[in-house]
Formats: sequence, structure tokens, C-alpha cells
Amino acid sequence: MRVRFKMDGGFVYLPARSEPTTIDTDDLPAEEAKELERLIEAAGFFELPETSSPSRGAADYLRYTISATTPEHSHTVHLTDPIEDPHVQALVEYLQRYS
Amino acid sequence: MHRQLRHRHSIFCIVPPDVLRDIARNGAEEERQAALDTLAADSTFRTLRAIRQAAPVATASPATVSLAAVAGTGEAKQLQRTIFDCHNSRSLPGDPVRTEGAPTTGDPAVDEAYDGLGATYDFYWETLRRNSIDDQGMPVNGHVHYGNRYNNAFWDGQRMIFGDGDGVVFNRLTISVDIMGHELTHGVTEKEAQLIYQYQSGALNESVSDVYGSLVKQYHNGKQAAEDADWLIGEGIWADPDRGEALRSMKEPGTAFEGDRQPAHMDDYVNTIDDNGGVHINSGIPNKAFYLTATELGGYAGERAGFIWYATLRDPRLKPNASFRQFARLTAVNGEILFPGGREQQIVRDAWSEVGVDI
Repeated sequence: MRVRFKMDGGFVYLPARSEPTTIDTDDLPAEEAKELERLIEAAGFFELPETSSPSRGAADYLRYTISATTPEHSHTVHLTDPIEDPHVQALVEYLQRYS
Repeated sequence: MHRQLRHRHSIFCIVPPDVLRDIARNGAEEERQAALDTLAADSTFRTLRAIRQAAPVATASPATVSLAAVAGTGEAKQLQRTIFDCHNSRSLPGDPVRTEGAPTTGDPAVDEAYDGLGATYDFYWETLRRNSIDDQGMPVNGHVHYGNRYNNAFWDGQRMIFGDGDGVVFNRLTISVDIMGHELTHGVTEKEAQLIYQYQSGALNESVSDVYGSLVKQYHNGKQAAEDADWLIGEGIWADPDRGEALRSMKEPGTAFEGDRQPAHMDDYVNTIDDNGGVHINSGIPNKAFYLTATELGGYAGERAGFIWYATLRDPRLKPNASFRQFARLTAVNGEILFPGGREQQIVRDAWSEVGVDI
């Protein structure tokens, strides 16, 4: 599975923050690969809506673009903080630590 | 450990806020929790306000605008703060840890947020007679320790949320009062002008937040004169001081930190789809226009430049999709209306001209 993660936005423009990270589970140690797959599944990633708009009047929020590709599925979601679903929160926390 | 704070006793929906506060301080545990919950709840408080203050917010027509009419309609100071601790998770709201009038907690993030929200409220009340974000005494809530080493602070449409920073890129995000003024002002802008958060209208939205964030700091510094202010947003925020002084400079856009891309003139306007069309980048241009206006007028900037910008923000002719030029025109118009025959209007025009916005 390949996962691509990109952050954008925030209260200051930092281009370095917008550099995407790509993770290929084939290149990860077995335990970490499993952890990422578990997080993707727990988040129901492939069924998540593609976009979710920020609330009216929201500003300075971080935005995340996550793409995951497996032999069976390919899906991209665009999210903004605050993320409500704790499973999606966990996935984003993991990916943020990685990038 | 999380507690569900949603259950609200129906009796607390009609109890006045000062009684709620007393219960929050002195009641039995279950009563305290319910009172805290209610105090923090938006809609209940606004209902109480609406009942007490029957007069609607006046929409000033340009012909009759005066200083008094432009100022807010609040009759009394109604500061109601609650700070929540998210305990480094992303779940909201977190636990209320400091309510209005409560003593310091010893947690710098909590206490700084409490003080910063208060300073912002006080600025709006004392200088502009605006009673909180909605001009109707809306509770002012801050949520600290959001996320894990989270390098951001933001306004989610209803409340301010602060990370701790990771200590590598940023220090804690409550460290600077102007950041709190900036975030709360997004609430004011949404209430008044609804400037769409992309491209030029978004850059104006960002600039308005920087303007009032700076004015909150200058007010808090004792109504500091414009020529004495540093015009920096987020001073001390960088964990590595060599990276830069601040997040943004209104005086010299593009110089706040290494990698700062803000332009100071329309010739250098950045066309991008990043950052919602460059809202944090191109805000440098209207920021500089405000800085020039304020310093040319001299003295504490809240009272003249701050008033002109506030009148513009509340002007019904300011549309959500306003361009820099449209906003600039209205600042000149309102400069003349507020200070008829004075030097203000020409100073405003000259400021915009200097940043390349011709009106």
C-alpha cells in the first residue's frame, strides 16, 4: 500500500510544510506496515468522503490531503482541522509524525 | 480521561450567568459540572442576551454614520471566558479548567490564553465599544494543548484552538497576545463582513485579523503610539530565534522570518493556489497600507486608523468577495465620513497608493 500525505494552510504560510510525504508499506518494517494498514482500515479510509469543507468562518486551519493506493483501491481525501472522527485523528497524527 | 460534558440540566437554561458562576465555584460536584457546561455553551448564553437586549444591532447608513453610530451597541461589559484543556488529544472541547474570574492555574498555556482573550475583549470594548465577538456578549472560549506537539493555532468558526508547538518549529502558540487577537478577530470578521477565505478577499480577512491583533497588543501595552509599536505578529513564536523574529511584519512585509514570502506591493502580488490562494501571503499588502495610515496619523492607532478600518468592516457596501481595491475605496470613504474635512482621507489614499492599490 502506498500512502501520500500533504499538509497545507495554518496560521502562517510555510512552503516546507506543504512538501508531500510518500510511504510505501513494502519499505517499512513489518510492524509499522501493519500499524499503518490498521489505521487506514480503522479510519474507514476508502469510504471517507473526498472533501469536507471547513466550518463557516473558520480560518488558519491546517488542511490535509491523504491518498492511499492498494492493488484493489485508490482514494484521496481532503480534510481540515478540527477532525471529528477519532480514528481519522489517529491516522493523521501518525502521518504527521512521519512527515 | 474524558468526561462527557454534553448533558445539561434544563434548570440552568434560565439561571442568570452570575448565579451560574457561583454554582460553578461553590456547588456540589454534579451541579458544578452542569453549571460549567452551561456557562461554556454558546446558544444558551446568546438566548439570555437576546432576551435582555431587545434592540437589534444597528446597520449604519453612510449618510448618518458618526463615530457613535459606528461603535458597537453593547451597553455593558460582559466578558465570559472559559479555557479548556484538550490534554494533547484532538478531541474537543476538552475539560474546562479556568472560567471567568477564576485564579491562575500555573499552566502557562491556560493562563496566557485566559489573559489574551481578556485583552482582546477589553480592546474591542474599550476602543470600539464592541461587546465580544458578536457584539452581544458571546462567551469567549479557548482550547489549549490541542493535539500532540501541534504547530498551529486556529479559529474553527466558533472557538480558538491552540497547539503546544513541537519546540522545534514553534513554541507554544499562546505566547503572543496578538495571535489571540488575530484569531478572535476572525470571528468578528465573520460576523460583520464574511470576507471569503480565499484570494484577495481572504487576504483582506487575514489582514483585518493582523490589524486588530496588533491593535490588541498596542492597547495592552498601554495604548502605545503607532510610531513606537513593533508591528510584528507572533513575536517569540519561533523555537529557533535564528529563524526569525515573528510570523509577519506589517511594517516590512517579507522580513519576519527566513522564508517569509509576503509582498509589500501589488507589483509583487503572489498568484498561487497554495494557502487558499495566498491569504497569509498577500495580506502583507493591506497590512502595510494600515501600518502606513496608522503611523502617518500618529498616536494610538486604535482611535483613528482602527476606527476607519472598523467602519469599513461593518460597511454594508463591503461584499464578501471584496477585492483590495474595493476595500481600499471604502476605507477612504469612511475616512472622510468619520473625519470630514480632515487629513485622514488623504493619508488613507496615499497609504494604498504606496502599496500599489489605486483607488
